[in-house]
Amino acid sequence: MYPMSDADRQVIKPEIMKSYIWLQTADDSLQEVEQEVATFCPFICHEIHKGMGSSKNYPISLPQRVNPGTLSLILDYCRFHQVSGRSNKERKSYDEKFIRMDTKRLCELTSAADSLQLRPLVDLTSRALARMIEGKTPEEIRETFHLPDDLTEEEKLEPLRNFADDPRIRLLNTLYARKRKELKERGKPKSVEVEGELVDDRSVDDLLSFINGGTSTVDSFGIRTTPCGLVLKRLNHGQCCSVFMGIGEDLCTPIWRRSDSKGVRASKSKKKNRRRKDQLKHAPMSCSTVNSTSSSNNAIDIHKESNGGDFICHNSKVHNHSVPVLCETLKLQDIEDDRFAPEDELDDLDPAMKEIIDREVEDFARRLNSDWHERIQELLSLDQERRPLPITRPIYNLRSSPCASYFRTLLLALSVQSGASYA
Amino acid sequence: MDSAFGHDFISDLPQSIIETILTKLPLRDAVRTSILSTKWRYKWATITQLAFDDKCVTPSHDRAVAEINLVKFVSRFLFLHDGPIHKFTLSTSYLQNTPEIDQWLLFLSRKDIKQLVLELGEGELFRVPSCLFTCRMLARLELVRCEFDPPPTFRGFLSLKYLNLQQVLVAPEVVESLISSCPLLESLTLSYSDSLALTVRAPNLKYLILEGEFKDICLENTPLLVAISVAMYMTDDIAEHFEHSSSCNFEKFLGGVPCLERLIGHIYFTKYLSIGNDLGKVPIMYPRLKVIELYQVSFEDMKEILVILRLIVNSPNLQELHISGSSNTSAATECPDLEFWEMECPSDCTLGQLKTVKMTDMSAVPHEMKFIRFLLGNSPLLEVMSITPSIYVTDGKLNMLVELVRLRRASSQAEIIFIQDQI
Repeated sequence: MYPMSDADRQVIKPEIMKSYIWLQTADDSLQEVEQEVATFCPFICHEIHKGMGSSKNYPISLPQRVNPGTLSLILDYCRFHQVSGRSNKERKSYDEKFIRMDTKRLCELTSAADSLQLRPLVDLTSRALARMIEGKTPEEIRETFHLPDDLTEEEKLEPLRNFADDPRIRLLNTLYARKRKELKERGKPKSVEVEGELVDDRSVDDLLSFINGGTSTVDSFGIRTTPCGLVLKRLNHGQCCSVFMGIGEDLCTPIWRRSDSKGVRASKSKKKNRRRKDQLKHAPMSCSTVNSTSSSNNAIDIHKESNGGDFICHNSKVHNHSVPVLCETLKLQDIEDDRFAPEDELDDLDPAMKEIIDREVEDFARRLNSDWHERIQELLSLDQERRPLPITRPIYNLRSSPCASYFRTLLLALSVQSGASYA
Repeated sequence: MDSAFGHDFISDLPQSIIETILTKLPLRDAVRTSILSTKWRYKWATITQLAFDDKCVTPSHDRAVAEINLVKFVSRFLFLHDGPIHKFTLSTSYLQNTPEIDQWLLFLSRKDIKQLVLELGEGELFRVPSCLFTCRMLARLELVRCEFDPPPTFRGFLSLKYLNLQQVLVAPEVVESLISSCPLLESLTLSYSDSLALTVRAPNLKYLILEGEFKDICLENTPLLVAISVAMYMTDDIAEHFEHSSSCNFEKFLGGVPCLERLIGHIYFTKYLSIGNDLGKVPIMYPRLKVIELYQVSFEDMKEILVILRLIVNSPNLQELHISGSSNTSAATECPDLEFWEMECPSDCTLGQLKTVKMTDMSAVPHEMKFIRFLLGNSPLLEVMSITPSIYVTDGKLNMLVELVRLRRASSQAEIIFIQDQI
């Protein structure tokens, strides 16, 4: 401070007696600031207590993350808020205006405020950044923050852990798996493309819920838990998995098996799928309700056929399901239909059974196309009818079955509609 | 300062900031950040504050589905989470007595959990497992709709500062010993635990909120209590207990709270205090008491008025007073004890700091008017007195006004606001 005479001191008003401190940013530029403003930052406060900052020669060195631009913003913030007389409303409205800046500056400001330990400002800016992330699609977020879309093909195709149980992520995973498969089998000729539009505009959730009887869910690992507590797992190399069904309190019985993989794919394969779907539209998949038969047999069968040996399938009691439940995986059939599961041994179906299946397949298709509620009604009423139907050969291989493809294309088209942003 | 367009400016912020941002997002969105880029793949997995609620899963028509989905979501999330968990909130209407919650609590008990909030749905009460009582670092515990039964070896939560039990099935002696065994307890909230006779011994307790059917409340050792809010409901049981009680409730309750700043009483609280009240031989002073709010005071019961007077007279620094009348009083024509106001009422008492008075639900009962007169006459710094008649008073309003206008005011600043049509 400058030397003053007594006379001077008496005349000088209190404001001029404010003390100033010196701050130095990483680029060595100095700045003089009123002490009361700067001490709003805990970091600066501590430094002052250590004796720093009182003169130009001993400025307070600010952390590296604070550049002159952000420093001036921070000081503005401090200057406003350190005044005690302001109402909460005033402060809030100042804050709202304060954070209106471009994203990059907001990030820098957050970083700087954090290094100065200015917690209220960190919270304010973090909240603003969180608002920019909440509810947005990944593309939007990447664009906002200039994030590189750099998950490698392999990483992306790693199934995402889908704990949000988001159907879009589920379908995304099937899409990735499909692509992974493709990468492996490069060079194989692709089938002819197909046109066709599925007019079904039900939500994916609805449809999938129906497929699952509204009671089972699947995740990216292919682990599906059915209401009967069964765990259906995709085998290594996506060869086989079982579809189980259960009614009432009986144990579940597998009724068919088909080779699978995560079937939903992006544009190229979409066309392939569509064609297949077209061909097979009239022979949709069936779901027949089955009475319990020996479940242990089935389990053993599946084990025999399992490829990678990591197939888990166990039955447990279904509690109080009076509605026939169709449990199926989402893993749709591999486009390369010609690749048969090497271990598959159940190729033959008796014609009678086939007829039954075909009939049920048609039923199913019809039901898929009707209203959700009507469907439920039907199911409930059908349950009474179907119960006595005996099935002696519970395991079928529907790899080449039209129904599987139909299903696949159905879901694919839906995914295209609803999952377009991820494609 | 301007880098290339493609430069990512958020991913390299310190993890503490990223965590702050992710914590301000709903959990689903936080998990979704995992597909943004390589750096973001697992940023979400180390956040230490988890808040699960019904929004974590897609809403479903079928409650069982929602329940299963939520269970899976939480289980998977916890399984993939890495690092300590300091705050865990589960607030759901889908889950009640779900067995998986036990497992989650066991998991959390190994993760240095500090704040636990468990708010479960209606129905069967969830019985808190014994692993909860091994959480040494627990500082905040909130349970809604649970059953609380500590093992005999339980010695208390030594770090617990905040305890909130709502609709919790717990034995009264358990509550008492729990309170006594948490030496750092600062805030206690008990709602709707039935028919407790409660003795509170909590040397560090600052905030006490009680609501429910209490037979008896004794604050035995609460010297630091700053704010009290009590809502006492009445049952026949309790009414009988009141009648036969011989102790002075006022002293039992307010005998040892010298630091009290705020007192709020609902429903039968004033009545409770009035039992055995004798204006005290040695007056207990409340030098810090600034705000008194007493609702549902029956102005026909002289004893309740005595309670209020005792409080007011012994609180020299009282600033705000809200009294709400009991709206089921009929405007009594004959009124006992009216001479009290002339004879015994301390007339030299000055309410030196009283600035705001709100009288609501006034039924124009004579005692009310006398009380208002007392206040007006003894409050030299009074600024606002607002009076709201009860909605049942239709004709009496004019009489009230006539009387009010007559009253002498000790404060020249005092405004009397008569609120007529309060919706």
